Amino acid sequence: MATTTAAVTLSSDLLSGSLSVTGTTTLMKAGTTADGLNQMRMGRNEIPTGTSFDLLDATAAGIDKANKVYISNESTDTSYYVIIIIDAKVIGRLYGGDWMFLPWNMDDATHDLELTSYVGTNTIEWVKFHENETLTTQGD
Amino acid sequence: MAITASITLTSGANDLVTDALALATSSSLSKAGATTALSNTTGLARKTTTTTDQFILLNADNFTADKAHKLYIKNTSTVADQFFTIHIDDEKLGLMYAGDWALIPWAATNGVKAAFTVTFAATWATADTAVFDGVTIALGSTATTAAMAILVAAARYPNFTATVNGSVVTFTAKDSNDLSLIEEGAASDDYVITTNGNGTGTVARVAGTPVASANDIKITPGQAVNTIEYMLFYE
Repeated sequence: MATTTAAVTLSSDLLSGSLSVTGTTTLMKAGTTADGLNQMRMGRNEIPTGTSFDLLDATAAGIDKANKVYISNESTDTSYYVIIIIDAKVIGRLYGGDWMFLPWNMDDATHDLELTSYVGTNTIEWVKFHENETLTTQGD
Repeated sequence: MAITASITLTSGANDLVTDALALATSSSLSKAGATTALSNTTGLARKTTTTTDQFILLNADNFTADKAHKLYIKNTSTVADQFFTIHIDDEKLGLMYAGDWALIPWAATNGVKAAFTVTFAATWATADTAVFDGVTIALGSTATTAAMAILVAAARYPNFTATVNGSVVTFTAKDSNDLSLIEEGAASDDYVITTNGNGTGTVARVAGTPVASANDIKITPGQAVNTIEYMLFYE
């Protein structure tokens, strides 16, 4: 079984008492403990401003699966940010230094994960853990 | 103050891929475009559902839009096929199975709340009434039009807030998802006045069409009983 572990730690002195939250999960295929997500894509991109780009294309094979996406904004200028969009719905902003880890359900073929860069060219690193991806047949 | 969020993604050699995978990132959760830490949190909360009905976990109206908010959310179930679906408004974001966690940036785009005014005029008298949102206001012995407006604005309404300026009271919905439009005019079925004399209360909607919040975080449990832990860091 492919075993990938995602662990998070959140700690802060924001409260008068200490705040420390941890979470660890093994990335499994939907609804099972017997089989882990067994496919992965990863990359690093420079995202210029002015255009909304598809970072990851949705595929019907990904509907109602347990796919996960990690994105880190590697920009060192904290005023730089990218807006994360799924199927035209704004999810939120990732500023320079921020990262996110979220489930991604490809609800339909238009459920692409998109990015728009602001202030300047943002550099992002990303990993998608998934199942059921079939490569597109050669078109030319 | 500082908030640190760290993630590690690991997989052994010949596991997911031939070589070992080890990614580690640590971030200080800061305010939008700044290096100062996000200053607010909901605290860690826990909610156990009892039905599969969708519900709003976080209402965008309660937070400032377009900041660097981050939501931590976890499915605490230990039964593999138990899941819930997380939505941003009606957009399905993804399925979270037992043990899954996520850290999600959140735009919290606000809606436009419905609002209307009631202009009190002519002569209001003792025992005249105005009824709205389940609240009845009866004018006491200080029988003036301005006094009626003050009483109406001072009341606490379940779904609206009210402010007064002279003899005009402005009502604003507490939730932009409340899109019920109030009937306008001097004889509104929604804002009901009863006077013994010639007192009037004329309803007029505030210009601008109300728009429901399109960025609420909603949860749809995959089964009736689901326990969710979550914590929002916001500014």
